[in-house]
Amino acid sequence: MAPLLVLGLALCLSGTWAVDKGNFKTCEQSAFCKRQRALKPGESPYRALLETMELTNTRLTLQLINDNNKVRLLLELYRLQGNITRVKINELKPLKPRYEVPDVLIREPTTEPLSVLSQDENGVVLSLGVESQRVIISARPFRLDIMEGSDVLMSLNSRGLLAFEHLRMRKDTFSYKVTSTVASTTKEEEEKVEDGMWEETFKSHTDSKPNGPSAVSLDFSLPGVEHVYGIPEHADTLRLKTTDNGDPYRLYNLDVFQYELYNPMALYGSVPVMVAHSAQRTTGIFWLNAAETWVDISSNTAGKTVFGKMLDYVQGSSETPQTDVRWISESGIIDIFIMLGPTPKDVFSQYASLTGTQSFPPLASLGYHQCRWNYNDQEDVKSVDAGFDEHDIPYDFIWLDIEHTDGKRYFTWDPHKFATPKEMLQGLMDKKRKMVAIVDPHIKVDGNYKIHNEIRSRGFYVKNKDGGDYEGWCWPGSASYPDFTRADMRAWWASMFAYDQYEGTMENLYTWNDMNEPSVFNGPEVTMHKDATHGAWEHRDIHNLYGLYVQMATAEGLIQRSGGVERPFVLTRAFFAGSQRLGAVWTGDNAAEWGHLKISIPMCLSMGLVGISFCGADIGGFFKSPSTELLVRWYQAGAYQPFYRAHAHVDTPRREPWLFGPENTALIREAVRQRYTLLPYWYQLFYRAHVTGEPVMRPLWVEYPQDLATFALEDEYLIGKTNLLVHPVVEEGARGVTAYLPGKDEVWFDVHTFQKHNGAQNLYIPVTMSSIPVFQRGGSIIPRKLRVRRSSTCMEHDPYTLYVALNLQRTADGELYIDDGHTFNYEKKEFIYRKLTFANKVLSSVNLAPDAKFTTDSWIERIIVLGASKPSKVTLKTADGQEKQLEFDFDASMSVLTVRKPGMNAGADWTMTFQ
Amino acid sequence: MAAQVALRRQQAQEESEARDLRLLYPCTGIGGEAGIPQGSSISAGVPVSVSSSPAAACFDVFGSENQKDDKRFYRERKSFLCIDGSRMIPFEQVNDDYCDCEDGSDEPGTSACPRGRFYCTNLGFRPHYIPSSRVNDGICDCCDASDEYNSHARCQNTCWNLGQRERAYVEGQMRTLDEGLRLKQQLIEEGVLLWREKQAQLRELQQVAEDLQVKLEEHRRKKHEADRLKEQTLKALEAGDGGLIRHQNSSVASIFHLLDSNKDGSLTVDEIKAKVVLVHDEQRVLSEDEALALLDRGHRMDLSKFQSTLWDVLTRGDTVKIKDTQGAPGSLSSEDPHLKAADRAAEWEATNLKKVEEAYETVNMEISDLQKKLAIDYGTDWEFLFLNGQCYKLKVYEYTYTLCPFNQVTQKSTAGVEVSLGMWGMWTGKPKNHYSQMVYENGEPCWQGGSRSTTVTLTCGTETALRSVKEPSKCQYIMDFQTPVACQPVLKQQGIHSEL
Repeated sequence: MAPLLVLGLALCLSGTWAVDKGNFKTCEQSAFCKRQRALKPGESPYRALLETMELTNTRLTLQLINDNNKVRLLLELYRLQGNITRVKINELKPLKPRYEVPDVLIREPTTEPLSVLSQDENGVVLSLGVESQRVIISARPFRLDIMEGSDVLMSLNSRGLLAFEHLRMRKDTFSYKVTSTVASTTKEEEEKVEDGMWEETFKSHTDSKPNGPSAVSLDFSLPGVEHVYGIPEHADTLRLKTTDNGDPYRLYNLDVFQYELYNPMALYGSVPVMVAHSAQRTTGIFWLNAAETWVDISSNTAGKTVFGKMLDYVQGSSETPQTDVRWISESGIIDIFIMLGPTPKDVFSQYASLTGTQSFPPLASLGYHQCRWNYNDQEDVKSVDAGFDEHDIPYDFIWLDIEHTDGKRYFTWDPHKFATPKEMLQGLMDKKRKMVAIVDPHIKVDGNYKIHNEIRSRGFYVKNKDGGDYEGWCWPGSASYPDFTRADMRAWWASMFAYDQYEGTMENLYTWNDMNEPSVFNGPEVTMHKDATHGAWEHRDIHNLYGLYVQMATAEGLIQRSGGVERPFVLTRAFFAGSQRLGAVWTGDNAAEWGHLKISIPMCLSMGLVGISFCGADIGGFFKSPSTELLVRWYQAGAYQPFYRAHAHVDTPRREPWLFGPENTALIREAVRQRYTLLPYWYQLFYRAHVTGEPVMRPLWVEYPQDLATFALEDEYLIGKTNLLVHPVVEEGARGVTAYLPGKDEVWFDVHTFQKHNGAQNLYIPVTMSSIPVFQRGGSIIPRKLRVRRSSTCMEHDPYTLYVALNLQRTADGELYIDDGHTFNYEKKEFIYRKLTFANKVLSSVNLAPDAKFTTDSWIERIIVLGASKPSKVTLKTADGQEKQLEFDFDASMSVLTVRKPGMNAGADWTMTFQ
Repeated sequence: MAAQVALRRQQAQEESEARDLRLLYPCTGIGGEAGIPQGSSISAGVPVSVSSSPAAACFDVFGSENQKDDKRFYRERKSFLCIDGSRMIPFEQVNDDYCDCEDGSDEPGTSACPRGRFYCTNLGFRPHYIPSSRVNDGICDCCDASDEYNSHARCQNTCWNLGQRERAYVEGQMRTLDEGLRLKQQLIEEGVLLWREKQAQLRELQQVAEDLQVKLEEHRRKKHEADRLKEQTLKALEAGDGGLIRHQNSSVASIFHLLDSNKDGSLTVDEIKAKVVLVHDEQRVLSEDEALALLDRGHRMDLSKFQSTLWDVLTRGDTVKIKDTQGAPGSLSSEDPHLKAADRAAEWEATNLKKVEEAYETVNMEISDLQKKLAIDYGTDWEFLFLNGQCYKLKVYEYTYTLCPFNQVTQKSTAGVEVSLGMWGMWTGKPKNHYSQMVYENGEPCWQGGSRSTTVTLTCGTETALRSVKEPSKCQYIMDFQTPVACQPVLKQQGIHSEL
């Protein structure tokens, strides 16, 4: 939810639905961004002092000097395991320590040996150990090039935009003038004092900036690259745009009221990771800095037409395409991880090796979530729950927003409306369903509120610049903000989720962290003052990390309350690099507009590329009221996105799925049912994502990295390793969609009709209101459970149907993952993980994890082979050597073979022969 | 009375149906031999093996309703035709936990078919269908536990208790309905009386209005007469000079005395300023200069000088006059006793007329109010008429809601702020039961646009009271309003039938 107070009221009364841009800074209004952006390329004052170079086995250090002011920097260079190069730049002798981001890397990265290949007075050449990869450090001006063979993969400071504002003592204007005139010989040591260096005012807020200027920036050149992605969160296209003619992309976690589409404004979360892709190679840049950050992108081919590019090619134009990127952060140090790929999946695993993988969610959380601000009371919850049964629509979670609390005091229940929460939770548990209740990080300042008193007495609140507890205005009125950057604070917070602390809770209650940017209604840009302090650090240094820490402490609380047994489920709005380890993210307060439905795809794809797979948008749109058509289309699209939750603003009319007439109820029911049949597949993909860091929902180019036609596609995507291609209908009144089916030698099967289509074509698909265009790739095997029940938990022991889609070589493969669905026991190898292969007319199930143990009641009830030919007989051979003939059905018109009730246990070894 | 007869008829039917059911289920429940998914043939995690299942000794098929219509489909034989006729399958494949028929008819007892239905026999309670997806899902749905024959759920047969409770509930409902209908009859009778009373009242008021109109005309005439008399007297006064002169001396003296505030026998500037004003601008105090001019440029003026100078000016009356002060004569002629009498008479008649006019207006307003009230649809027998003029309150959390039927709905917070949730709109029940729902519209405007409205559903009860208030969406209120007049004898029969 966004702040609705003065700002919201003013907007709504004027009838405007767009964001009020005036509430948020442009680069021009952000002093450090303006300062840094004003620097001109090609004038780098930095020089590498090669004589200071020290090389141990795994670490190279080198001093850089700014010839203008003689301030020295220390550069560190590491070769990290898995084809990653880390470059750190800090002041050699800062006045006081500069902030280095903790708790984001999962461990100190493992280093690998570096060696010097050659060295002269102009530079040093280092070997990176693999595939003739080298780093060339040039001395004057300082520049760093990463090469592979004769190709430059990436260059740093090639445009000379490295800037490192050193910490300095504050001088008042008068003494500065005296010094500069008297000691004219040392004038290069003095920096020009500009506006906004020691104090900055935006609207009515003044930032006191006691440490003065402290920004850092660096440019990267990417030869051969025309496509860059990532750096979420922005409501923008998947492929990032050049920023020459506007503001840079901004990364600064903000509660933006009614955000606007297709612009680079900051939103609720930030992951400072960019992925660069060309047909030859995929690389990534991870800029580990939690302060306000701006990213400029320019390209030498931007603006050129396809024809122009062709002309260049024909004429042998010398200019290779190149993308230049520049990162600017307000404080901290430069700490970058250059992920050298070369494939998209290599970049994913490289990034995962640094910040971890997607948390493995409880299976139920992949089901459908019913949310609204607010379900009014227990009776309301009960009747909505009953509505799902009455209309035979499955769901797993019902959600409670802020109104369930006693006066916006989190960890409490409204004594009248939610007088007996355990009774309510038990009612849900009886139906194998669950609940999520909101817990926000702003704490009501109220002497009668236990949580507030404890935090205050322990000194756990963030402090204002004068040392008192920071206070801001949020839902409860006056509120303070716990300092989640403190480990002791987080431990205390986690302990508050214990069943005896958080009264009225049971194991089927999970948590939602909203407003954790943090949102401060009366703060600058609706967030916390940058000069507020977290111990030794300013809020300025840690801002983008705050939300991650809130979710971290909350998830830890849910783990602890179960004695470390149960997997947590925590939804967050604010996030940072590493948030993928902690739970789910949603795209915040969107609106009931077709454009918002459409942009949910690139927004979640962008997050997936930088590790955050568990992403979704509010089904139906948060603000405003959707048309019935939009609502149905959103349910259909959402069914094929990872996090599937309907949500609505308190001022909108009710929109539970059955309120729009029987026809639309049926359409929504069908969409939700499709989701539930695919839960085994979603779950298995999340297991994969948890193990490998690969995104669950991914752009086509990830799987077809050489197919240029896929590079900018954002109206369709893949779920999992190529296997399902989804092109949801996101246009009003659509009569058809055109889906690009990739792969020259691929075939694709419509999952609803089983019709076969060739790859490498744009396929026009006529659609009706019931259509959700989804295709299964020939060559894949997807498990489903077709007995859709009230909730995912009710389907636990149900049998599987395997969908085997044959490719032109008449082969297919897939996986099947099964565990208990909710505990950490999979870490103790309690799971089933099998490889399913179809080749040479034999379908087999082979154990991929022989050391793992788990038993399941589930069996294989049906096998559907798409693109099959008619066998004369089908024989099943089980592990005990027994053979039996199976009945089957063959539909010659569609070439679909259905094997009836083979009956083997899903965890067993077996082979099935089609003769 | 009719209701009780209907109830007894219903009960008799129930009992006979129950007897039928027992006959139809010679091998009851899942412990018996009925149906296929039994005992060893289904164990956890193992699909039903058809070959090992005992031959269906009973003529019913588990999970199907064994009624006349269904029986023919599941007769023991070699093959089974899906009920939709789409397919013929071997009989062993009925209820073998694999869906063969598109319509789900081959799996009435398992969860295999997506569109299937499972029949809960629920002996002792009412039988009903559940979706097949609720079979063996670990949740007890049928009170006889028959849906969870192969799951981890431990279900107990609760049909008898439920049946007891249901019967008690239905009996309670029946009592309520009977009592409600009795009360309703009373209210209908009262309603008719009230309607007649109101009609009589209306006629009475209309009669009063007519009488008042006659009176009104009489008084108008009288007033007119009095006014005319007054006018005549005034004219006569002004015309008859002799008479006026007779009074003139005393008048000159009395006016002089009136002006001579300090009674010293001479007029001063201040005294003139205090009592004399311009004819055309009575509010303005005369200036020093103007007053001096009236005193013929002398600072003092005695009676004789007054009589020869200022008196003339005053009697001419076209430039200045004596200010209307309390008790002071407004004009020269007001001193005349005849005129005074005529004036009093005219005033008296005016007052009388006003009173009658007011009475007439009041009565007409009452008539229009009553007509408006009587124009509302109070049901076929005016049974809802008694609600008009009543208000019903209910406190929900921090708010007190007040429903004044056919008038308005309000919400009052504990802080004391009262908000309108709508004014009487109309009946909005379905055609079949038009008087089951009413709507109040155009209440206080909402923050997001639109205005508050309230939908009131009327339900049968022995008391008339507001039972619940909800606000499912912002500014849209739903009320449950209970009253005997909502009891419906027709519904009564339907109700029992569908519930049992």
